[in-house]
Amino acid sequence: MKHEVIKKQGASIVVLKGDVDLESSPAAREILLKTVDGAGRVLVDLSSVTYIDSSGVASLVEALQASKRNGGRFALVAASEPTRRVLELARLDKVFTLYATVEEGIKA
Amino acid sequence: MKGLPPGGERRNLNRLDRRESPALAGHLELLAKMSGHLAVTLNIEETIQKALELITKYVNAEAGSLFLLEDNGLRLTCKASVGPVDIRGITLKSSEGIVGQCVMENSSRMVRDVSTDPNFTHSVDETTGFRTRSILCSPMSTQNIRLGAIELINKKEGNGLFSETDLMMLQTLTAAAALAVRNARMTEVLVQQERVNREIELAIEMQRSLLPAARPAPFPVCGINLPAYEVSGDFYDFFELGDGRIYFSLGDVSGKGMDAALLMSKTASLFRCVGKTLHDPGALLVTINRELCETAIHGMFVTMVCGMLDPATGRVRLANAGHEPPLIHRNDGSFSPVPASAPPLGIIPLEAGLNGIREELIDLDGGTLYIFTDGVTEGRVRPGQRLDVDGFKAIITQYNGDSAATRIQAVVSRLRDSGQQRHDDITILAVEDLTRRMMKDDASRCAVPLVSLTFPARAEELHPVREVVRETCEKCGCPPALTQDLVIAIGEACQNVVRHAYKGVADGEATLEILCRDGMLEFCLTDSAPPVDQEKVKPVWPKEVHPGGLGVCLIHNIMDRVEYLPAPSGQGNLLRMVKFFKRHKDET
Repeated sequence: MKHEVIKKQGASIVVLKGDVDLESSPAAREILLKTVDGAGRVLVDLSSVTYIDSSGVASLVEALQASKRNGGRFALVAASEPTRRVLELARLDKVFTLYATVEEGIKA
Repeated sequence: MKGLPPGGERRNLNRLDRRESPALAGHLELLAKMSGHLAVTLNIEETIQKALELITKYVNAEAGSLFLLEDNGLRLTCKASVGPVDIRGITLKSSEGIVGQCVMENSSRMVRDVSTDPNFTHSVDETTGFRTRSILCSPMSTQNIRLGAIELINKKEGNGLFSETDLMMLQTLTAAAALAVRNARMTEVLVQQERVNREIELAIEMQRSLLPAARPAPFPVCGINLPAYEVSGDFYDFFELGDGRIYFSLGDVSGKGMDAALLMSKTASLFRCVGKTLHDPGALLVTINRELCETAIHGMFVTMVCGMLDPATGRVRLANAGHEPPLIHRNDGSFSPVPASAPPLGIIPLEAGLNGIREELIDLDGGTLYIFTDGVTEGRVRPGQRLDVDGFKAIITQYNGDSAATRIQAVVSRLRDSGQQRHDDITILAVEDLTRRMMKDDASRCAVPLVSLTFPARAEELHPVREVVRETCEKCGCPPALTQDLVIAIGEACQNVVRHAYKGVADGEATLEILCRDGMLEFCLTDSAPPVDQEKVKPVWPKEVHPGGLGVCLIHNIMDRVEYLPAPSGQGNLLRMVKFFKRHKDET
């Protein structure tokens, strides 16, 4: 898994790439929690995620909860097909706020 | 014979006949002509009109009429008429007048001069204004069945009176006409019969269309219906709900005729229609009962079994209203009946709940549920010997190694091929815990796995394992979306081994085996860690999300069957996951 964090119009965009699985999810968790901490709006760009498992989803859930505690806003954007499917199977597609594109996420 | 053209001999004979007996030759010619005319039409009215015209003309009578018996032989009605006055439609009592006497006595009569005959009825002349002088009358009958008579009135030539020769001629011609009438009548009956047959064929077709189409294997429900006569008072049906559960039903309407068939159609439609939204078998039977009671046909009722199978668990909810107890054939070979908990439907209103139709909860556990009508158990296998429940059990046990469809077909074949007359419809429905059964079959056949992969139970090893799963699923013909799901499920299963089973112990190993056959993929994941706590591997639904519970929840959502078993080696755990699928290329 690779990642980068971009600041754009007041939002922090975490871009995750590749497989977010048991091996890489600790790293994903760390970067997500770090970004959420203190930032008002966090968007997670999932367009390049090729695979995500329950540990990766758990990192997203944890970041969402942390963001809520901080009074921030947390959303997923441009979820790739594999990501979308796992969220759907886990019945979490209604728990997260999802935007089709990064631009939409910034404007919202 | 030499050099004689075909037919030449006959022409010679004709010439001879004419010379020696012109009257006989004329008769024969007329008979041939009349037979020819009568053969071309099978319409009875046309037949008799034509026959009468020919006869009247040939005997050279002024008028002719043809009477047929009607009203069970009580009346004679004029059906054809030739001459100055059309008397068609006139009716006489069957013993009235010369025609009546002629028919009653089945003998010909001639009244050379009516003015001297006491039997002559003047009523017709009075109505028509026609003056009758001389009458010939000959009865029409075949094989002692009286049909009517032909009456000729007044010879056109000479003194207007008939002769003995005229009577003989009429007798001959009437016999031919009688045959023609009988043929036309038989044809009419045949045409009528043909129409009824067509109606029945349509009813059969309609009924067939109400039965569900057999699903390609593997599918856990199958049925068979063999009507005793043309249409059936039995039915069965099954359909899948959106969540994978399968609703099924079997019913037997009292009686066996068209009335039973129509009530069967109604009940089957109610099951399918109401069952789409009402997912409780007991409550569904209560609702169908209410409908049947409201529009009850006196004295008719329906015995019916209705159930819901969850293929993922092999569990069935079953409700039985007055039907012969279905049998559960268990894994250990034993049979147990499920008795009715309510009276048949269509008799008295029933309430849902405690006083209504109770549901039985059955765990098939690899077994099969058989629902059948009494036409099966009461069917004869030898003169005086019924199949009975014991005979049914024996056939099922004998064919236990075969598919459910083969097993129920074997029962039907035994009854059908016994040479005994069947008096009742035969219907059987089999509902099986296919997943568990197939697993058992596989174990007993020592199926060779497609893939057997042993890997270190470490997080960094999971990616290559997932790639193997992806390739294998694609090779087996899984559609892409299903392949993606299966990769997710197996990824989660492996992850759980890494995270929980070994609890971070570095040198643990896991083995993944993949088996594929007949539209079923089976994944067996074995580890050698301490036994898994069953409570911890129950699916946990989000809200209190933690990765372990979420993973199990994903596995359960994707797989048709998930089982945690002890590893065959005796140490460790075996996680068995089964998925049924339609091959990608089969779908297109």
